[in-house]
Amino acid sequence: MSRFVKKSPSICTDRPLDNTDVCTKLRLLKQLLRSCFGPTGRLKHVHNNIGGHVVTTSTSSVLLTAATSSQPLINLIKSSILHHVSRFSDCGLFAAVLCLSLIEEAKQCGLRRNVNKHLLGVCTAYLQQEDCGCKVPLDFCSSQDLITLSRSVVSSKPACVLTEAEALHISRLAVRAFLLTVPCNSPGTVTLGRIVSVGVEGHPVLNSEVFPGLLVEMHDVFCLKTAENLRSEPLRVVLFSASLAGDLSELGDGIIQVHPGVDTDSQILDQLLELCERVIEDGVKLFVCQKVIHPVLQQYLRRHGVIVMERVGISLMEPLALLTGALPVATLHTTIPAKAYGTVKEVSVKEFGSKTMLHLEPSGESAICTMILCHRNETMLSELKVVCQQTEHVLRLTLREPSALLGGGCTETHLAAYIRHKSMEEVTEKASALGCSQTEYLLGVEGFCRSLESVAAALHHDGGNSLIDLTHAHHWTLPADAMTENMEDSSGLCCGCGLVKSGPKVDMKWTHLNTEHPQFSPAAVLKDRPVQPHVLDSFTAKINALQVAVETANLVLDVRFVIQDTN
Amino acid sequence: MLGSTIINRRQHVGLQKLSALAGITHSSLGPHKKYKFIQDDRSGESALVCSCFRILENLELTCAVGQLVYQTIQVHQKVYHTGSGCLLFLAGAWSRVALECLQRGISVAHIISAMSEGLDICFDVCRKFNISTEGFGAEQSQSSKVTSQDLGLQVSKKLTMEGSQAWTGLKGNTRDALKTLNACGQKKIRLSRHFCEAKSENISNELEEHQPKHPDIKYISERLSHGCVDAMNLVFEASRTQSNSIQQDTSCPTFDITKVMTCVLPGLPEEQACVTPGCILLLSAEQASVAHHLKDQLLKVVLINGDLSFNYSHLGFKRPTGIQRVSEETALSSSSKEEDWMEKVVMLLLNLEVDLILVSGLVSEKVIQRCSRHHILALEKVNVSVLKGLADASGAVPVTYATQLSKHCVGAGVKVAIWRDLSSYERKPSIAVNISTGVNSKLVTVVLTSCIEGKLQALEDQFWACAYRLHLALKEKALLPGAGVTEMLCIHHLQKQAERDSSQQTKEAAVANPYRSVVLHLMADGLIDYLSTVMVNTGKFSKVQAWTAVSQQLQACNQSPGVLSKFSELFLEAEKEGRAMSLPVKSPDAPSTNVFDNLSVKQEAWRKASDLVFLVLQTDAEVITGIDQKTEAAQGNLTLL
Repeated sequence: MSRFVKKSPSICTDRPLDNTDVCTKLRLLKQLLRSCFGPTGRLKHVHNNIGGHVVTTSTSSVLLTAATSSQPLINLIKSSILHHVSRFSDCGLFAAVLCLSLIEEAKQCGLRRNVNKHLLGVCTAYLQQEDCGCKVPLDFCSSQDLITLSRSVVSSKPACVLTEAEALHISRLAVRAFLLTVPCNSPGTVTLGRIVSVGVEGHPVLNSEVFPGLLVEMHDVFCLKTAENLRSEPLRVVLFSASLAGDLSELGDGIIQVHPGVDTDSQILDQLLELCERVIEDGVKLFVCQKVIHPVLQQYLRRHGVIVMERVGISLMEPLALLTGALPVATLHTTIPAKAYGTVKEVSVKEFGSKTMLHLEPSGESAICTMILCHRNETMLSELKVVCQQTEHVLRLTLREPSALLGGGCTETHLAAYIRHKSMEEVTEKASALGCSQTEYLLGVEGFCRSLESVAAALHHDGGNSLIDLTHAHHWTLPADAMTENMEDSSGLCCGCGLVKSGPKVDMKWTHLNTEHPQFSPAAVLKDRPVQPHVLDSFTAKINALQVAVETANLVLDVRFVIQDTN
Repeated sequence: MLGSTIINRRQHVGLQKLSALAGITHSSLGPHKKYKFIQDDRSGESALVCSCFRILENLELTCAVGQLVYQTIQVHQKVYHTGSGCLLFLAGAWSRVALECLQRGISVAHIISAMSEGLDICFDVCRKFNISTEGFGAEQSQSSKVTSQDLGLQVSKKLTMEGSQAWTGLKGNTRDALKTLNACGQKKIRLSRHFCEAKSENISNELEEHQPKHPDIKYISERLSHGCVDAMNLVFEASRTQSNSIQQDTSCPTFDITKVMTCVLPGLPEEQACVTPGCILLLSAEQASVAHHLKDQLLKVVLINGDLSFNYSHLGFKRPTGIQRVSEETALSSSSKEEDWMEKVVMLLLNLEVDLILVSGLVSEKVIQRCSRHHILALEKVNVSVLKGLADASGAVPVTYATQLSKHCVGAGVKVAIWRDLSSYERKPSIAVNISTGVNSKLVTVVLTSCIEGKLQALEDQFWACAYRLHLALKEKALLPGAGVTEMLCIHHLQKQAERDSSQQTKEAAVANPYRSVVLHLMADGLIDYLSTVMVNTGKFSKVQAWTAVSQQLQACNQSPGVLSKFSELFLEAEKEGRAMSLPVKSPDAPSTNVFDNLSVKQEAWRKASDLVFLVLQTDAEVITGIDQKTEAAQGNLTLL
């Protein structure tokens, strides 16, 4: 085959970060993501260019999935952030904003050798320390810390449009659901259960609820007839993943030749009826199928007092198998072994809005629960669902590492202060170890710390001022339109995470972020303080986000050429 | 490719769009709605609409804000069937509040927190001033005049009750106050949370002396008609028919909305709309003789959920494509197979002595003909909820295929009556039959008629709006004072709070939100705008007059709170006259001196309106995916990533 168009040569960009187009795009991406950050972040309408469905959101996973660029560098950043989000759910925007700030800072001071990797090591080492000033151990004896943690996640997404009471209700539900997924007394390796969430549109958020077990929607109004006379004794369950519609769906494109007198449909149906007969003989009282069940079978089963559930869908199959202990039957041609049957303790009917659902309760311990999420419109409901999944994930991560970091920007400012202090102490040996001059080293440190602080400052979207106190290096906010000029004059304020309060008795000095101040060693807030932090971030997610941000930024800074095939 | 537009902060385009969208539906607000034609220039089709929801439904809204609005209204309509106009109006009014605030340089965070507080104030008003329906109107209906004063008294009483001193003052004469209130029927006041349990015990003690009184549905329904008197009369009839058909038990009357269905008949004058127990279905002329044959007997019925035809197969069944029939003889043609099937089905029906088949899907012409020959009536397109109702009442078990039928699937005791001969109205001759199961079935059909076919949808919407209003009132057992009184109370409270804020500038309040007073004032103005628009729609006021009337009342209200009841009179005076003008048939002395609103409908509409404003206000950019960089990069307002 001959070519009609001559192949055009590849385009090679030398030092892509010096290219204005690349810089504009990086700045735009930063502006886009930075404006979404935090509980007062701005939302974005995401839609395609032909007037398709509009999503209103501020979550990084949705935004970054939608963002595709012609710039490979941007796609590189995007994919590494998305990868982080897929593993940890939280701190996606933090990672993105930090990464883009680091790139900007490094570009501005024009350092050839960057010290970011070394500083990342200092950060992680500090965060892993017992006496780290921005880490709080989680207390599993009370649900308070877990609720605070989940509330911080829930209220960080303004597109949910929740009132205070609603946010608290959802956070509590998330914690309750999480606790239900932790099995209590199973020996050996513990496997966490599942949370299945069901959305109900148009109803008040406070109607949202969590139930142990599974709630499965009933499609057919006539199914209820048998379900109404439910017993509360354990029921034997069979679970089919194969279709029982009575057609030859397994045939594919093949051809079968049959005698004209043969009625294939009724023969298949007879076979299915035989199968059902055996199932009934085995004492099954709840018959569940992922796909369609032939109406004749349904009628037959119901007449024998069996509750029938069809079309439950693939997503519910795994939770159903976990809950009942049944093995999904994928073929219709063998007898069903006894061990394939499962049990449920109780079946009842529950109604939510226009949805009628069958509530299956496990007979043993199963760690499966269903979260019914209600919200007033579709946009807010879909954001709420995303947020609840995030919360679930964040809570799970606490089992791996039972600590949390202070939220509200306090971790960032505290870390920055710590690094400034630490690197001043050991400037000579570190500079020589890294093979750079002391000035270069300090410039690098300054850039890194400024990037961290700029993430804390990104929490403001209404022109507020960021300050730090010179004792604990926590993050404070002075609203743009506040009556007072200085923090010293205003009393009763508290820092971003809520652990430190200002007042007449407290002797504290404040300074604006990004202003010259003498470096100091930030003191940890006394551990036995009665005050609990109001905002907590996931430890595991944040520490990973920090690593992803720094490593991605380093990678981007190291790119010398971009070679693009334009064909 | 991806582009994004950054919206100018001070002139928020999204909020302007929201306000403009809301503007379209101003004329469909309040009891005096005006019809609108929506015309599609391309196809030349047009639609006659009169409610906010139908207007939006007929507009093709592709922009982001439009989609958000439509989505919200759609869900609200699905759940409540009423209040969409109020929702959209307030979304528009409050988006102008947000715009105004932005122009004054107030930050988004402050606008949102102050507006949420404003909304809380309004909800507090709803909590304080809602009226329990218990024993409502049981004895009041004879003299409506007393009631109107009564309500005025009640509202004013409550106004003075505010504050904790009022509570202590009231404690002494609680019984007296309650006695006067309860003198003509046990109207139980649901009080704010400050009035704790002790109070309700008081009331219950007094109530025990009497037989528990159920709310008078007639009384409530009249006051919830909101201008749709005819529709509400039908709703009342439907609820009465339901209670008549079941043995009255002593439990509280409810209105089972799931058992109500509507049937629209074009061509008949509107006065012929009526309510009948059972289910009304239209028949073709061929089946009329069968219906005549079966009328007034107790029939055996089978129910089929699906189509009744040879080719029908259930949902999810795929016909195999790769089957080859190998044969030496000539194979049976498919038509003869159909014949076999038909024979089998008819034999089965005859054996089971079935008289009536109700099918949720379609019935093939051949089946209808064959059944008619054997005096079996096969009716298609029967609502699934009707099938469910009939299954419960007759004992029939719905099946998917006729071949599934067996003895235990057959229900008994169903009656078919010729309801009406419609031959003179329709082009082709047809009759309407009534399928009923006699006692203990709540199934009710409301027949809506109009000479103008385009109006039928509006009439049906009005009926359902009224039906849901009554249903919700009985379910929630609480109502709000209507005709603008609740809004007036909210305005009053918002303004009072705003004044309190600006007069005592405490330091803490200033730090918390220095702009609360401004925002609350503007929110109150939004509600005044709402009230005056409703008044303008009556045709009796100009915008200026309406606005003046509202603010005069507010001033008077600030001086002596009792005046508020007068406002509702002023409001209703106009409405009554308006109604008398638009419907000269109705006698103007109908007892409609006071009006109620539904509690949850109002609260949800307000909440959803503020949701819309908050969502749009917080949005600062649009991210558009799939942009072709070469062609669309030229557009100035796009920035490409």
